[in-house]
Amino acid sequence: MAPPDERSEKQAAAQQAVDILHEISTILNCHLDRRTLSICISMIENGVSPEALASVVKELRNEAQVQEAHAQEAQAQAPPVRRR
Amino acid sequence: MSNDRGHRVASAIDSLITHLLPANPDDDDQVAQDKHDACFELVRSIIERPSSPAVSADVNHASDLIKRKLIQSNPTQALRFSNLYTRLLSLPVLNQKWAILYLLYQLSDSPDPNEPLPLSPLRQPGPVHRGQSPPPPPTRGVEWGESSKTATPATIPEEDAFEDAFASSGLKKLPLEKTRPLPDDDASPKKSARDVSLKSTLLADNSVDLEPSETVLLRELPYTLQGLSSAALPFVNDTTLKLPRTLPPPIISLLHTLAEPSLLYRRLASFVKSPARGLLGQSLRAAINIELRAYLTLIATLEGEVRRALSSLDEAAPRHGIGKAGVTLKRCVVWTREATMGLRLMSLMAEQSTSKHGGQLISLVHGFSSSHGDPVVAAFAERLLADVTRPFYDILRRWIYDGELSDPHLEFFVREQSPHDEDRKESKAKGQASVWNSKYEVVDAMVPSIITADFAQKVFLIGKSLNFIRHSCGDSQWVEAYSKTSSKELKYGDTATLETWIDEAYKTTMQRLMELMDSRFHLFEHLQALKNYILLGQGDFIALLMESLAANLDRPAGAQYRHTLTAQLEHAIRGSNAQYDSDEVLRRLDARMLQLSHGDIGWDCFTLEYKIDAPVDVVVTEWGNRQYLKVFNFLWRIKRVEFALATTWRKCMTGARGVLQTKDKEVLQTWKGTRGVLAEMIHFVGQLQYYILFEVIESSWAELQKNIRKEDCTLDDLITAHTKYLTSITHKGLLGARRRQHHDSVKEAALASGSRDPAAEVEDRNSYMIQLSELLRTMLAYRDSVDGLYSWSVSDFTRRQELGAVGLMRKNQVSTPSDGGGGGSGDQPGAGLDSAAGGSGSGSGAGIVKSELPALQERLKQLGLTFRTRLQILLGDLAYQPDVDMRFLGVSMNFNDVYQPVRRKTKTSAGPGAVVAASGSGAGSGAAAGSAANTSRAA
Repeated sequence: MAPPDERSEKQAAAQQAVDILHEISTILNCHLDRRTLSICISMIENGVSPEALASVVKELRNEAQVQEAHAQEAQAQAPPVRRR
Repeated sequence: MSNDRGHRVASAIDSLITHLLPANPDDDDQVAQDKHDACFELVRSIIERPSSPAVSADVNHASDLIKRKLIQSNPTQALRFSNLYTRLLSLPVLNQKWAILYLLYQLSDSPDPNEPLPLSPLRQPGPVHRGQSPPPPPTRGVEWGESSKTATPATIPEEDAFEDAFASSGLKKLPLEKTRPLPDDDASPKKSARDVSLKSTLLADNSVDLEPSETVLLRELPYTLQGLSSAALPFVNDTTLKLPRTLPPPIISLLHTLAEPSLLYRRLASFVKSPARGLLGQSLRAAINIELRAYLTLIATLEGEVRRALSSLDEAAPRHGIGKAGVTLKRCVVWTREATMGLRLMSLMAEQSTSKHGGQLISLVHGFSSSHGDPVVAAFAERLLADVTRPFYDILRRWIYDGELSDPHLEFFVREQSPHDEDRKESKAKGQASVWNSKYEVVDAMVPSIITADFAQKVFLIGKSLNFIRHSCGDSQWVEAYSKTSSKELKYGDTATLETWIDEAYKTTMQRLMELMDSRFHLFEHLQALKNYILLGQGDFIALLMESLAANLDRPAGAQYRHTLTAQLEHAIRGSNAQYDSDEVLRRLDARMLQLSHGDIGWDCFTLEYKIDAPVDVVVTEWGNRQYLKVFNFLWRIKRVEFALATTWRKCMTGARGVLQTKDKEVLQTWKGTRGVLAEMIHFVGQLQYYILFEVIESSWAELQKNIRKEDCTLDDLITAHTKYLTSITHKGLLGARRRQHHDSVKEAALASGSRDPAAEVEDRNSYMIQLSELLRTMLAYRDSVDGLYSWSVSDFTRRQELGAVGLMRKNQVSTPSDGGGGGSGDQPGAGLDSAAGGSGSGSGAGIVKSELPALQERLKQLGLTFRTRLQILLGDLAYQPDVDMRFLGVSMNFNDVYQPVRRKTKTSAGPGAVVAASGSGAGSGAAAGSAANTSRAA
């Protein structure tokens, strides 16, 4: 195990890296929040191909939007159901 | 190991899914779990799909992609990105930086996931696309397709072709992309893209072959923009760029636009190289040079783009595929547009700066930054200003902290006065010039608009004071210490701080200066001493001096010797309270004779002097000294008359108990009248002295004290207060010069030399000064006559005594002493006198004595009358004075309305008479002329 202060140093560096990358992503209009970004970073560090990851993110977003749309539809339909 | 990695990836996918897909509260656990699993599977499949291996694992490559994209869409952010990028590279963590960047690049400009899908009702749920790359929502994914084609053609995944074709609708957002949909995109046509493609093809096919071609123009453009001639676009001369004639009008107009920055740059470059006339001119050139360098950097970037684009040109494509390369002439125009604005502004400044100098240059640039409506222009000028003002602030710093004017090119708003100026000569002639106010001056035209006039005045005063302390007060140590401790770097920008600093400096220097003036140079003591001795404030001293000098001064002026005067002065000092004054004051006191002129007696020429030396002479100037002298001469004359009258009065009073006793009614009457007039005169002199010493000098002195003891009094205030003090004394003290300006010097010179200049008197015939000296002269003449009467009376008394003795001896001879008054009332005719005269040896003397009395009576009467008339005229003048104090003098002289003030109708009508009276020094003629003048006035 690394000594604690070296560890914290590493943590700080990682924190900084996330900060910088987050800023870049803002410049590039990526719409990534910090949490998503850090998950992505860790996946890439573990060898996931960036292109594949990009499509994953896009795909998941689509999925989320679709779900949301569904939820809204469901909500829109719900009241008449109750009335009946 | 790989198992461990797989685990981690799996858990990461898990958290990613939960994070990105919000759990639907309506679903129960089972459904949610199913959904999650489905997603997980989907993600897994995507990830495990073999990716294209050709993506080079080079961190620079990904960053280049991003940079290029940013430069095209948002140039300002590109710089920010490169900063962030370097910071990222320096971090020790992360092994796969390029991959992360690549990811971000891929995700760039993705739609906001929080926005609901516009097409949501029409869309199928996600799983439809499972296993297939989903068609992205309409995005502007153009950059990807384009740049990958130019740089990494091998890496295009198949979906990008898809995207490329789809993206045509997104083009509208990006005006720079107009050239994009070109025929070689037609390899993967889609219906929606076909129209555009067809048009582009048409355009491309119909495009005329340019000569020289656009590629050539592009290649040479960077040189042109740097102001260098090239084969296709040669500069004919400094202001002309020759365009090839073979080009069609649209290209020509583009080149026209591009020629503007080129020509402007050329002109500015030559302006920067031109020699400047001053430091500020140089700094302006330097500031412009910096901006030009920034422009060149832009051109260099542009050139890089051009080269890169040209190297990837496809020779086979129409127009050599130049539209695909991303760099066209049109785009160059857009890129250089902002820079052109800057160049335009600078060339405007450069043009205007040729006629400006120093502070005006700053005003010029500041004018752009403060009063230009365009915020871009204002910001640009503001940036320039920081550099341009640097030398100015250096000069300012030297000035307010060292008190030195280091301004070799006369650019500062403070300037050393040139001694040859006409105005200066005049003020110098009047004795108002001094080291303090004649060394430096503010040039209003040079005050830059970044500082206010008030502020400039303050700055001026600070530097002047420091300079004065250093050079005139000999306290350079303090100045050096001060500049060491408080010197600060001044620069353009924070005006408020600057002002506080300046205020601070102002306070410190002013305090120090006043302190020096008070403690080291005893300014206030000197002022007090001037009042005590020159303005006769020290009564005992003056009385003693006059008493001891009286005998001496009655003699002609030529018989006065300096050593006797100084000896008497010393005596007066020792014998009065003046001896307790400090040596510093006493050694400056000196008695001397003014310039002699024929016929003067000592009284006319004597003067006291108080020697003032530097640096106090900035307050008590040469002019001030002359005023003091003037007042002293006047007061001294009044004092002398008072002294003379008092002496005579004393003699008369003593005599009345002895030698003046007589039984002759006539003589008694004469004496009575004489005493009356004498009393009038004494009253007049007393009132006059009281008025000048108390009403005028003391009140002005109190005013002066109030002004100079103020908390924040500066040397300027002090000088002003002192000048005011002197002016009010000379004005109210009836010495006022209300004449046209240029006579002042003449008159002052005349006064200083004993006011014997007839020309000056002609000018001043109506002034109080002249009236008063006439009055004083009349009084002196009267006193002489009284003395004559006294001597006559004494000799008459002696004669009577003798006569009595003779009469006793010669009892047969009958004679009454009352015959002596036979001036007109004698019942005994002159025969008796004649017999007396002829009868005895002593009678001859008595005869002369007797004949003198009528003349004396006549003269006394005339002089008394003259005095009265003159006084009445004076009172008449005083009664109509605007000044309350002077009116008050008239009232106090005439408190019981003994005199009838005469209002002169026209001042000129009194002229000739007064002139004659003034110039007539002979007693008889003077009186006669005086009465003549009176009659003329009465008429």
